[in-house]
This record gives sequence, structure tokens and C-alpha cells, in this order.
Amino acid sequence: MKKSPNLIFHILFLLLLISPSVFSWKKDEFRNCNQTPFCKRARSRKPGSCNLIATEVSISDDGDLIAKLIPKTQENNESQDAPVEVDSKPLLLTVSVYQDGILRLKIDEEQSLNPPKKRFEVPDVILDEFLSKKLYLQRLSEEKIDNDLGFSSVVYLDGDYEGVLRHDPFEVFVRERGNGKRVLSINSNGLFDFEQLREKKEGDDWEERFRSHTDTRPYGPQSISFDVSFFGADIVSGIPEHATSLALKPTSGPGVDGFSEPYRLFNLDVFEYIDESPFGLYGSIPFMISHGKARGSSGFFWLNAAEMQIDVFGTGWNAGQDKIMMPVDEKRIDTLWMSEAGVVDAFFFVGPGPKDVIRQYTSVTGRPAMPQLFSTAYHQCRWNYRDEEDVFDVDSKFDEHDIPYDVLWLDIDHTDGRRYFTWDKVLFPNPEEMQNKLAAKGRHMVTIVDPHIKRDDNYYIHKEASDNGYYIKDASNRDFDGWCWSGSSSYTDMVNPHIRSWWADKFSYGNYVGSTPSLYVWNDMNEPSVFNGPELTMPRDALHFGGIEHRELHNVYGYYFHMATSNGLVKRGNGKDRPFVLSRAFFPGTQRYGAVWTGDNTAEWEHLRVSVPMLLTLGLTGISFSGADVGGFFGNPEPDLLVRWYQLGAYYPFFRAHAHQDTKRREPWLFGERNTELIREAIHTRYMFLPYFYTLFREANMTGTPVIRPLWMEFPAEEETFSNDEAFMVGNSLLVQGVYTQRAKHVSVYLPGEQSWYDLRSGAAYKGGKRHKFEALEDSVPAFQRAGTIIPRKDRFRRSSTQMGTDPYTLVIALNSSKEAEGELYIDDGKSFEFENGAYIHRHFKFSNGKLTSSNAAPSGAGGNRFSTDCTVERIILLGLSPAPKSALIEPANQKVGVQLGPLTIRHGNSPSFLTIRRPNVRIEDDWTIKIL
Amino acid sequence: MNKKKKIGGLRRLFEISIVIIIGCICAITRSAAAAAAKDDQFLLLLGVSPQDEDYYKGLLSSPSSTIKCKDGSFKFSTSQLNDDFCDCPDASDEPGTSACPNGKFYCKNAGHIPFSLYSSRVNDGICDCCDGSDEYDGKVKCPNTCWEAGKVARERLKTKIATYQQGVTVRNRLVEQAKLAIAKEEAELSKLKNEEKILKGLVEQLQERKEQIEKAEEKERLQKEKEDKERKEAEEANLKEKQNGEQVESSEADALKNDIHDKIGEQVESSEADALKNDIHDKIGLLGDSSSSQDVMDGHGDSESEAQHGEFDVKEESPIGDVKPLQEDSLLHATEKEEQLTVDGQPGLDTGNQAEVEEDNSESLSKEELGRLVASRWTGEKTEQQTEEVSSTKDKNHGTEEEDAYGEEYSSYDSEEDDHRYDNDDGDNEDQMDDFGGEDHDDSSPSYKSETDDEPDLPEPSWLEKIQKSVRRIFQAVTFFQTPVDKSEAARVRKEYDESSAKLSKLQSRISSLKQKLKHDFGPEKEFYSFYGQCFENKQNKYVYKICPFKQASQVEGHSTTRLGSWEKFEDSYKVMQFLNGDKCWNGPDRSLKVKLRCGLNNEVTDVDEPSRCEYMALVSTPALCVEEKLKELQDKLDMMNKEQPTSHDEL
Repeated sequence: MKKSPNLIFHILFLLLLISPSVFSWKKDEFRNCNQTPFCKRARSRKPGSCNLIATEVSISDDGDLIAKLIPKTQENNESQDAPVEVDSKPLLLTVSVYQDGILRLKIDEEQSLNPPKKRFEVPDVILDEFLSKKLYLQRLSEEKIDNDLGFSSVVYLDGDYEGVLRHDPFEVFVRERGNGKRVLSINSNGLFDFEQLREKKEGDDWEERFRSHTDTRPYGPQSISFDVSFFGADIVSGIPEHATSLALKPTSGPGVDGFSEPYRLFNLDVFEYIDESPFGLYGSIPFMISHGKARGSSGFFWLNAAEMQIDVFGTGWNAGQDKIMMPVDEKRIDTLWMSEAGVVDAFFFVGPGPKDVIRQYTSVTGRPAMPQLFSTAYHQCRWNYRDEEDVFDVDSKFDEHDIPYDVLWLDIDHTDGRRYFTWDKVLFPNPEEMQNKLAAKGRHMVTIVDPHIKRDDNYYIHKEASDNGYYIKDASNRDFDGWCWSGSSSYTDMVNPHIRSWWADKFSYGNYVGSTPSLYVWNDMNEPSVFNGPELTMPRDALHFGGIEHRELHNVYGYYFHMATSNGLVKRGNGKDRPFVLSRAFFPGTQRYGAVWTGDNTAEWEHLRVSVPMLLTLGLTGISFSGADVGGFFGNPEPDLLVRWYQLGAYYPFFRAHAHQDTKRREPWLFGERNTELIREAIHTRYMFLPYFYTLFREANMTGTPVIRPLWMEFPAEEETFSNDEAFMVGNSLLVQGVYTQRAKHVSVYLPGEQSWYDLRSGAAYKGGKRHKFEALEDSVPAFQRAGTIIPRKDRFRRSSTQMGTDPYTLVIALNSSKEAEGELYIDDGKSFEFENGAYIHRHFKFSNGKLTSSNAAPSGAGGNRFSTDCTVERIILLGLSPAPKSALIEPANQKVGVQLGPLTIRHGNSPSFLTIRRPNVRIEDDWTIKIL
Repeated sequence: MNKKKKIGGLRRLFEISIVIIIGCICAITRSAAAAAAKDDQFLLLLGVSPQDEDYYKGLLSSPSSTIKCKDGSFKFSTSQLNDDFCDCPDASDEPGTSACPNGKFYCKNAGHIPFSLYSSRVNDGICDCCDGSDEYDGKVKCPNTCWEAGKVARERLKTKIATYQQGVTVRNRLVEQAKLAIAKEEAELSKLKNEEKILKGLVEQLQERKEQIEKAEEKERLQKEKEDKERKEAEEANLKEKQNGEQVESSEADALKNDIHDKIGEQVESSEADALKNDIHDKIGLLGDSSSSQDVMDGHGDSESEAQHGEFDVKEESPIGDVKPLQEDSLLHATEKEEQLTVDGQPGLDTGNQAEVEEDNSESLSKEELGRLVASRWTGEKTEQQTEEVSSTKDKNHGTEEEDAYGEEYSSYDSEEDDHRYDNDDGDNEDQMDDFGGEDHDDSSPSYKSETDDEPDLPEPSWLEKIQKSVRRIFQAVTFFQTPVDKSEAARVRKEYDESSAKLSKLQSRISSLKQKLKHDFGPEKEFYSFYGQCFENKQNKYVYKICPFKQASQVEGHSTTRLGSWEKFEDSYKVMQFLNGDKCWNGPDRSLKVKLRCGLNNEVTDVDEPSRCEYMALVSTPALCVEEKLKELQDKLDMMNKEQPTSHDEL
């Protein structure tokens, strides 16, 4: 009888073939808290178990408040909860104070006591400029709090705030001056714990095993955990990246179901991640912002790059724990922060407004970089545009269908065998010509450059890196060899500034053969992703420059890679061209180097929905330039979903469509005429608002305030907005609500505030402070302009943003109840750093008393250089003005122009029913007024 | 240059032109005035297509006249025409600027083909019209390239026309041939139907006769047996002992076999393996449909593989179904070693899905294997070894199916003299019936020979007469029959019956194949008739693409064949052939192929592409697409291009 010896295998394989989702998210592959000893341990500790007290409190020569933390000598020792650690040495505590109400708390081992190793502190994240804003403390005052036996030391923080170090029990908090109300605190629940490094004793088993991987843990346990309390908080938010709601759900305490794991911060390449999960994704920002109706916002940031787990406690979590001495009258959210290694280097931000907190946070970690103008437009991506012919075909189809786009992307398969910086010679024989052809239409290209370097001796990058010892080492000090797209691969050690500089040089036109000035870069897989590593990443005992273990800096690796690439593009352009680098992994400070996206999402309605809280969270934590793959990376979106995604994605700060290689082609014109039209309309909307977006990017660049914002950032006193993460603000003027269900008939939209809102499509005004039910129109998601604002637009459509440079502006003035409105416009050359020397135009528009005034908003003496443009205003639309005037007078030109009815957007079928000043043709850079007659 | 100024300049020119038109009409000769007016209108009517010139006429009489936007929504005046501000929602006031988003700009492109651009291209710094007329604000200077470009275009058009001219002739011939062939086949069909009726009658008669003979023989045999029995009873005692001995032996063997089975547990006899295999195949089929794969997904979403357990009956029977992954793995290896154990009760199957095994095995995989495995999640690519195995499975399955199919064919046409007709090409197992008529064709070479080759297979009418004759002879020869049966007579009847019924089934299958064939849609003029039974091939790198219209399309790589789809239909008024429901793609849809047809002198595949994963696209050139109307269209276009050549070209 004939029988195949491998029949089982074949059958199994057939089974595998027919089940498309066999490989979806694998919980087992990732450690949960219980499988993570430091997390399990920290989580099992009881409130009040910290037995440390602060002693030797003083002001140091450096103007810091310093103290030693030592275990309390227990005379009447009830030691169940607090076993005294025998070899516990004093810890050094330092409190520093910086301008703008920022308190910094550091706790580390005493170096003078010679710990086995210096614990890792993350360099290159905190701005030097911030350090220069330190306030040198002169004195501290002592007082007794509550019924304490000991004293508390109080230091000046800000005109309105004070920092307090409570000695026993040890606690640090910030409080309002005068009323003494606490804002935020650490160790109020006594959960602080610091595992000090110690010599390995005989019989100690420090190894940790997970699945088939063993972590040698040569330095043993070294975790840190503590609780942080946010007072007067209704919600806490932040700590990306998780595919979850904007207001973080409790993960511990009574009534917590589902979210029983802490929020994990550990950069991971999670295949087919799911929404509504506290598991860690590609990037980590240990920064949390609280917000409450009563007081406003505060923020807490722990600069630490090791794995972190964060619990948000639900109300009543510590019921029955009467040891805690805390004011009970105040609303409060308690959180538990746990990290595997590193030191305590924490920042307290007092707010009090949400924008204040972000300004304070970004004064530490940096403001978002000013992007290239083209990169704020629409990006077209797919894994993979196969060859030059495909590229040209897609490019010409955009023109054929009159759909603008600015950037075409090439994924991993454009390279020669996934050797980055190379081209597949068959598929892309003439890369420069190809780029030039697109550049002739003002378009750009982006190629992918990942951190895994193919171990091939004929590959120059590998040759140089291995010859020079630039690779991360494994625990036995050999070049770490892992598996990724390029097969057997090694990873350059970007923590070393010298290696970063070497890497940056690889982007010069001479080194990156086939690159041209219109080519920019995409950094993927920089968590780093290691297919055969523990949890698909680098082993924790791998070794970096200076003997730093990977566990200590895991979360910052992708940041360094992004930084090195971004610096490479700056170098390439001789410091004259802004870099554009998209990264998947991120860390505090990433905003200085480029954009991020939310990784490999899925073509599902829930992923469309969760993209909004994910991007809002990124914005709150400094990373304003972010987006989610429009259409969903995995799977095939039904046309309805794709269209809705475009309509929402048009308002993402970073607007890119992307798709997995297994998906059907989904360029905008592939779903029938009507859908093509709808997608074109959505993309046009983005191009129309580009001047507004660019102005917002500049605002972010100046203040940290994100481009898209939770409603509560603009309406901080409205509780109704606190849990709303289906709608968001674009700047302070636009409110956008997604449509998240198939064939939706109606959409319910909450319009906050006391002023009205003008529907972007119909121009109809709706009352604020109310929830409205709207018909779900096919041709757009609901979007509204807030009364009292002025939005600059460019209504002419071009092939790409490049051709819009000289096009005239449209100003849309939405008047509030007192017939006033304000807005801004920022313009520069869109690509160079000249704006830093004052080469930009910043206009302020104000409408009041029937008169529109354009004035200069740039600070005087902003720099020697000037930027100039011939652009004019071709149309001014007035919403909410009555009675109808017939004409307007332009000053100082003393010229009359007509006022007539026109459409809100110049589109076929839009009725001309809005007052429009026709062709005022005033120059955008000039001062002028237009008086309605 | 400032845009406003430029537009203003245009306006001034226009206003002057109005003056000229009005003022000079009597002073200058008619033709000169007309020429001047024509030029200036062009400036005002920037971007207006000749068809629209009438619409704007109303504005040319005076600067203050007004007309309505084309959609009637709004009125605009001469001063608003091309004033770089969009007044009409339908863009009718701005044919020559970029002010309206949905406008069209007409470039005359003298010397080449006139063209309408999206207004978004006007003054965007990129030369779109070959005459440069879309860029007039001075930002860029666009040279007039129409003459050169037009020349190239005209040459290309000429070549295309030449192809069409020849192609039309070939196509006409094809259409003629197809009509004749179809008529012939229809005639043949009706003739065959007639013959079938007659032959059926004969076969029935022969069968009747044969059965009578058999009855008689049976009777004779029983009689004989009875006699033998009596005769042999005496000898039986001796024989009995020996027979017993044999029985013991075989029952021992059975017992041993059972023993082995007990040891194996739930194993089935190896002879049942095939049945089981089929069973498994059935289940796989079942799993393949959407509802059950949904189940698998759900199961996956759950904690472990609970939901899948139900999918496999085998599972319940297996005592080792719940062992831990690692053990499963070692068991798996063990089973592989003992070949006869492989078929049933294997734990791998029980877990219900390979992924589990793969995943859990990952602990024992080498680092590289693990890396590959994880990478394959994103790519859907199997590791090399796995791919090979899959494709070899596929081949094997393919092989068996084919063998089975042929086996059946053979047994049903059990006639020596017909055997040679079945050694036709192997790749073509879809339509076995067609093969009967000797329509077998070499896939790679299109051929028309089948029509003529049919004839010898089903020889001239005489064969039917011959059969009729011989049947008659049989009936004449044997008037009645009884035992003992005349042996030679019986053999003759049998032979005659076998031959005739073979002929009949041959006839019937020919009829059915003809019917099948004629049922197809060969196009409005039967121009695709010659595609029937043809296959077009194209080699691209390591793949050979094989497109067999009306049948199927496949991609062949070495010995493995992937079905890209079965014939579905023509689409897009016979410009596209659609093949659907090919082999399923990993993580994707069933494969499918769209074939775009172009006019060309030969039938050939000019390109194959996979624009979307597993959705293929091929270009086939064929004379069948060389339609006369299109030729006319092209000729008209060429005429127009020639006419549009500026007579003044030499002056430029």
C-alpha cells in the first residue's frame, strides 16, 4: 500500500493553511505579571509595607534637598508586613526644583558605599536646556503634618506650590501653597520598595526562565516599585503604548474585571495585537497625566528604560488599610509603578491646566520637531510596491483620479535581500531616476531601514559593524545573533554615540547609493524585534556599550535608533533639511526625532475606534506627530470601513495608508467610482486644512500642545468630555467625531462648551454643551468648527502639497455669540531650519466689531532671517454674521471688495449660502484690516 | 510673475479684442477680422474646449454680459470669466485657471492630441500640456513639445492600425471557420443522436440475448454442479483434512494481526488507511468552509484549543489527545518512526491545528527555526522545508485524484481497440468526456486538428451498418437456444454485445462532449471558438503560466502545479476572461486570474502579473479582439492628428 511517511505533517499543514487566524495574538508568548517575578512581588506587597524613613535631611551645595532613606528601627516590630532586610543600606534621595513648577526626585544607591554596579540612568533624554532651568534651593522649612511624630521638610517649588518631604513615614508630595491641598505624591500608600544590588551568595538562583529562554540575570534582583497618587483627579491618562481607552481603566481593586494585568511598558513587536488590552506594544512613555474637574491636571514622569508595569487602582482598592495617613476628603487616583531595574528619577508636574502639564513635560523631554511640510500631507504605503513599474503605475493612477498624495513608501522588499541601504537590482534597477521622476511632480519617497543587520560578510554594513565591534553582545560577549527579516542578523549598539554617528553617516548620498534628496526614511522593528528572542525581542542579559545590560535600557533602544537615523538625515542635508523619519518604537523624547505610528493594526472597526485614544495618548505624552495605518495593516477592510478610515485618518497628525502584503490591493480607486470619490474627498479635506495643520505643528513645536487633543484639553471643566475618546479636537478650532460602525445611520456627537459649532459640511450651527444626534452622512465624518475661531485653508487642489506653495488662502471665520473670532497662521519654507532664525510668518487674525485684523504674531526680534511669500487671501467666509453686508473695505489699501453668498467649500453641489468676501487679494504676510460695511 | 497681473493682462487683451471685433468689423476685410477675433477669443477662452465655445459666446459680446453657470446655479459676468475666483460650483466660470477644484482645462496641443486636464494642473509648475498652455503664470517655462511627441504618437498609432488591419482579416477568417465548424459539429451532433438511438436498440437486443444465454449457462452450470457434487462426495473426506490445515494457518495470522492492533491502541488496519485518508480529506474539506474556520478562530480566541476538539472525531477516540505539547511532540516523532502507526490517533491531528503544535514545538526548535517560524506569521511564507512538503502533498493528492479518475475511465470503456484513444495529455483531467472524441491536444500548441482527427475515430456510416449486419447475423444464426449452449455462439454474442455497448458509450460521450462544447459562449461572432481546447503559455522566471480558455488556468513551477482558477466567463464585453476559485492562498483569498485581451496577430500571453496577493492578471493578445469598428476609430484618430498638425509648423 502506498502511504506517505509524512502524512501527519501534511495534514497538519493543510489544517494550518485553512485557518487564517491561527497566528493571531499569542498571549502565551508574552510574560504576564505573574510570570514576571519583580511584578508579582511588587503587586503582592501590602499598603504601608515600606519601612523607610528620611534622615539627614539637608540642602546640598548644589541647591538640592538631600536625605538618606533608612529602614526604621523597629522597637515594637510588627514585622509581618515589613520584614527588615538585613543587608539594606541607606539610599540617597535628592529633590531638585526647576522653573515652571517641576519637581524632580531621584533615589539611588549610595555610590560611596560601593554597590556591585552603577545602576543605569538614561542619558540623552533630558534636555540640557531644562537642566539649566534648575532653581537652587536656599532653605527648607520644617513642619509637622497631621499627627506625625517627626518633621516634614518643605521647599519652595513655584509661586503657588511647595514640595514636601515627609520623613516618617517617608513620602514626597507637591501641594498648593496656602491651602495645603496635595497635588501629587509618591509613597503615600507605603508601597515604595528598592531592591538593592548585592553580591551573589552561594545557593542564590538568579536565573529566570521563560519558555525556552533563560535570562542569566548576573546582577540578581534590582527592581524598584512605588505608588503615586494624583489628587483631585477624575481620570488618569498617558503611559502609552496600549490599545486601550484614553482614560485608563483601573487594573486593580474591587470591581476590576478584564483588566487584571497592569499596564505594561515594554517595547514589543506584537503580531496582530488586540484592542482593549493593557499589554505593552511598540513604544513606552512612563508619563501619566491626571485630570479632574475640581483642580485640573498634574503629571508624573519616571525616566526609566527598563521593563515597567503600572497599576491603576480602582476606588476602594485599599479599603481597610487604616495605616495610611492621607486626606480622605479629596478625590484621588492611586497608581503603582514597578520597574525591573534602573533608578528613581521622577518628575512631578503641577499643571494646573492640561496644556501646562504637557508644556512642563516637554520642557524636560523636548518639544516635537517641526516636520517637513510634505510629511504632514497624505502618504501612500503598502508592503510592498513591488518594482519601479508598480511605483509609476500607482503614482500615475493618483493623477488619473485627481487624488493628491505626497509620499510613496517602499517596504522591506525593495532591498537586495533585506540588506538595508541597498536596492533589489531586478525590481529597482534605477532608483534615482525613479525618485527624480516622482520628485518632478513634487513628490517624495520613503524607504525602510531597520536595525537588524544581515550577517553576510559581503554586506558592507555588516562588515564594518562586525569588524569594528559595533554590535550588541550576547551574555557571553559574542555579537548577538538573532533572527529577523534578513534572517540571521545582528543589531548595532545605538546607545554608543560613536556608533550612532557611524550610522548617521550611512545616509549620506555617497554612502546610501540610489538615494536622492527627495528620499526619507522609515525605521521599523526597532523595539527591537527579534523573531527568535524571548517575547520576540532581545534577551535581557544582552550587553551594550559600557557593560549596560539590555534589561536596563530595553525601552530606549528604539529611541536611539530613531535618533541616529534622524541625525543621519540632518547630516545628509548639511543641517539644512529637516529630517523625516517614521519610527515604530518610541520613548520620551522621540518627538524630537520624528513621527511614530501605532504599528501593525487590523482592518477592523474596533481598530479604527481605538486609533483615536491611542493617538490622543501619544499627543498627551509629547508625541504629537503620530498616526495609525489607514485601512488597517492586516486584513481586508470592507469599502465602508476603508472610507470611514480615510475620513477619520485625514485628521490624524500623520496620515498614511498602509497594508500587509497578503491583503488585496486597496489604493483609493479600487472600490468603485463612488468610493473613489469619497476617498478623494477625504484626502482633499486634509489638503484643504494643511495650513491649519502646519500652524498646529508649529504650536506643538513651541509649546508641546499636541495637534490633536482630547476634548477635555480644550474644555477642562466639562466632565462630560473626560471619558470621550471617540471625538477629538484638531487644534482648538475643529472637533472631529469618527464613525465606528458599519453602515451607521446616526452618530451621536457631544459638542462641548457654551459656544456654537458650525458643521463643516452644511455650515449649520449647533449649540454647545449638548449631545446631538446627526445623520451619518456617507461623504464625511461629523466635523465642526468652533464658534469664535478663524481657520486658514487652501481650497485649491494640487497633485501634492508642493504645488500648493503659492496658492491663495481662504479664511473661515466662525463668529461666537459676541460676534468675535480669532485664529492664527504659521508659514515658513516648509523644509529648512531657517525658521529657527526667524524666517517665518506668523499671523494673528482677529475679528471683532465687524472688522478683521491681521497682525504679526511673531515675537519681535525673532531672528535675522525673513521668510516672504506672495500668497494672498482669495476668499473670506463669515459664519454667523447678520445682517448681510454688501461690501467690505480693505485698509490700508482703501479698496472696496464685494461680499456675496458663496459655498462653504467650493465643491460641486454645495449651495452658495454663506457670506463670502470675494477676492480681497490681500497679501498674507502684510498687516491689514477688512471692515465689513 | 504675479498671477493677478497675468490674469489682468489677459483681461486687458480680451477687452481690446472686443473693441477690435466691434470696431473693425467694417474697416478690415472679413477674413482678417475673423482671424484676429479667433486669436483673442482663444486668450479669453483659455482652457475652453471647442465643444464649449458656443456656451461662452454670450460673454464675448460685451464685458458686462452675463451667462449662467452650466449647472444653472449662478450667474457670472464676462469679468468673472477666468478671473481666478471660483464662482460656479461646476467650475464653468474658470475653465482656464485652478480656482475651481472640479474644473477641466483644455489644451489644444496642436500637432498632437488635444487633451483636457484637471484644473488642479493649471499653473502648478509642472508642464502637462505638450503645448505648454497650462503654465502661463511665469513660474516655469514649458517648451512646446507637441510636434515631437505627436510624431511618436502618430507612428505608434500607425503601427497599431497596421496590426489592426491584418488582425481584422485574421479575425474574419476565424469567424468564418468558427461558423463552419460549429455548423458541422451541430450537424454531427444531430447525426450522432440519431445513431445513438439505433445503436441503443441493438445493444438492448444484444443484452437481452446475452442474458438469455447467461441464464441457459447458469442452468447448465447448476446441473453440472449437482452432478459434480454427487461424484465428488466420495473424495471429500480426504480433501477435508488438508483444507483444515490451511484454515488454522490463516486464523493464526488474523489473531496476530489483532494483537498488533491491540498494542497500537486505536490503530486501524493498514488496508483501511486509504479510507481514513479520505475521511481526513473530507474533514479538511469541511474545515475549509467558512463556518467551520470561524469555529477555529473562535476556539483560538479562547484559552486553548477547546473549540477545535470537536472538529475531529478522531480526537475523542484518542487516548493521548490531551497530553502536554512537549510530549505530543515526542510522540509525534515516535509515530513517524513506526510507519504503520502514522495514520490514526496521531496527537498532532488531535490538537486540531498545526499552529499549536508549531508554537509549542517552538521550545524544541533551533533558534533559526524559531526565527523563521515567527517571521512566517507576517509573511505567510512557510519555512522552506515546509513549503516543499506542502507542495509535494498537493502533488500527491493531485496524482491520486488523476489516477483514480483515469482508472474509472478505463474500466468503463473496457475495449481493447479503444485503448489507444485515452493516452492523451495528463494535465487535462477537467473534462474527461472531451477526450473521447480525440480532441486531445497538445496544451502548448494551439491546434485545429481535432476537427479532422475526429473522423477516423468514428468511422463512416458503414460501422453502424456493420454492427447492424452482424447483429442480424447473430439473430439469424441462432433461432432458439437451449442447453447445452453453443459456446462459440455465446462468445460471439458476448463479443458483439461488448463491442456495441462500448461503441454506444463512446458515442454517448462524444455526444455529451459536443453538447458541452457547443454550450459555451464563444462570443457574439463566435470569434473565440478557436480558443476552445487551446492553452496559452508564458514563462516568467521559474513559473510557467498556462491559460486554457473555457477550462482553467494554472501556474507551474517544476513539478508542482497551482490552480489559478477555473473558467468563469467573459467580462467587460468580451475584453476580459475571468478564472475563479483557484487554489486557496495562505491567509488570503482563493486564487483568481483576470485575462485582459488585446488585439494582436497571434494568440499569445504577453504578460502575467500578481497585482494583489493571489489575484493574477494576464495580458493575451489575439486577433479575436481586432474589431473593425476599433480600426475605424483608430484611423479617424490618426486622420484627426494629421489634420491637427499645425500647417504653420514650419514657420515655428
